[in-house]
Amino acid sequence: AVAAKMAALGGGGTGWLRAWLPALQLLRRGSKAVTRHWKAMHFQRQKLLAVTEYLPPRPAAPPRCLPRPATSGHEEDGYARVLRRQVEETLRSSRMVAVCQYNSMPDEDVVTLRHYLRKHNIHVKFVLNEVVRPVLAQSKYRNLLPLFVCRNILLVSPETRAREMLRVLKGVPQVNLLGACIDDTILSRQGVENFAQLPSLEVSQGQTVAALSLLPSQTSSLLQRGPTHLTALLDEHIRRLRGTGGATEPPPG
Amino acid sequence: EKMASKMSVVLRPVKSIVVRFCPFEPNVESTRKFLQCIYHKKIQATNTNCEVTADVRHDGSEPVVDVTFADGDRLIMKGANLTTGEMLSALESRCNAKDLKEEQKNKKKNP
Repeated sequence: AVAAKMAALGGGGTGWLRAWLPALQLLRRGSKAVTRHWKAMHFQRQKLLAVTEYLPPRPAAPPRCLPRPATSGHEEDGYARVLRRQVEETLRSSRMVAVCQYNSMPDEDVVTLRHYLRKHNIHVKFVLNEVVRPVLAQSKYRNLLPLFVCRNILLVSPETRAREMLRVLKGVPQVNLLGACIDDTILSRQGVENFAQLPSLEVSQGQTVAALSLLPSQTSSLLQRGPTHLTALLDEHIRRLRGTGGATEPPPG
Repeated sequence: EKMASKMSVVLRPVKSIVVRFCPFEPNVESTRKFLQCIYHKKIQATNTNCEVTADVRHDGSEPVVDVTFADGDRLIMKGANLTTGEMLSALESRCNAKDLKEEQKNKKKNP
């Protein structure tokens, strides 16, 4: 080892040939590097080892002990937004909105139901509660909110054909009508049945007009009853007088 | 749906089920879910003669499930404070018990 050091130093240049570094001289005497007795470490080595000591990493706290990060504002799903807009559109454009509970039905029956209702211009819409709830809360259908639990379908229509709708729904036991909003009036199932039995708008308008005009039509005949009676009596009188030959007194004017 | 497929309710001893509720009340969710489960394919397939009727009222009454069995027994469950699972398991246990009784009776008749 000493020879190797001397050779390395010697090879550096002509100036190193004569001088002896104190480290080399110290190494010359004394024991070798590997001894059978305990040998004190060189101070530089001691310092190096102290600096480069292995420090095991501290185990990080398990995530469940840390404070939960405040749920960064729920990003609104784009799809949900689209669905919500569609629902708003349908609600705005329909006069009749009926909410029914949907229990699982075989697919052919669903198609048949859709077909029959479409004949009366009633559209069947499947809706998700979480999509519809915020829309309803802001619109005028606030009181229909408690209806939207479990699976529901909406029957929307621009006309108010309640009778046909009830007839179709009677044949489908798996769809139960819960409530409806017809012409800005919220009705329960009973209300819808009553509404269905009402005559149509034109018929009821005609009936109202007829009822109102009944009395005025009688007014003219009522007013004329007195004078007509009087004229009849006078005519009768004249006939009798003529009958008895020669009217002696003129009839009172 | 998951509940309905997990619990296989055998509706053979049941004659009719009437589910009465008022949808504008806030405590009807479990009853409505029960009705939904009853209409599941599997359960309907066990007994096609069973008539399930949904009676929708608006008088603020409590949600009630009225089950009439083929041997005349009636099971009335008031769903206001019950969960769907409880109602389904109660119905299932009674149906199984009745089924066992019928099987034993049949065995006795035809040894």
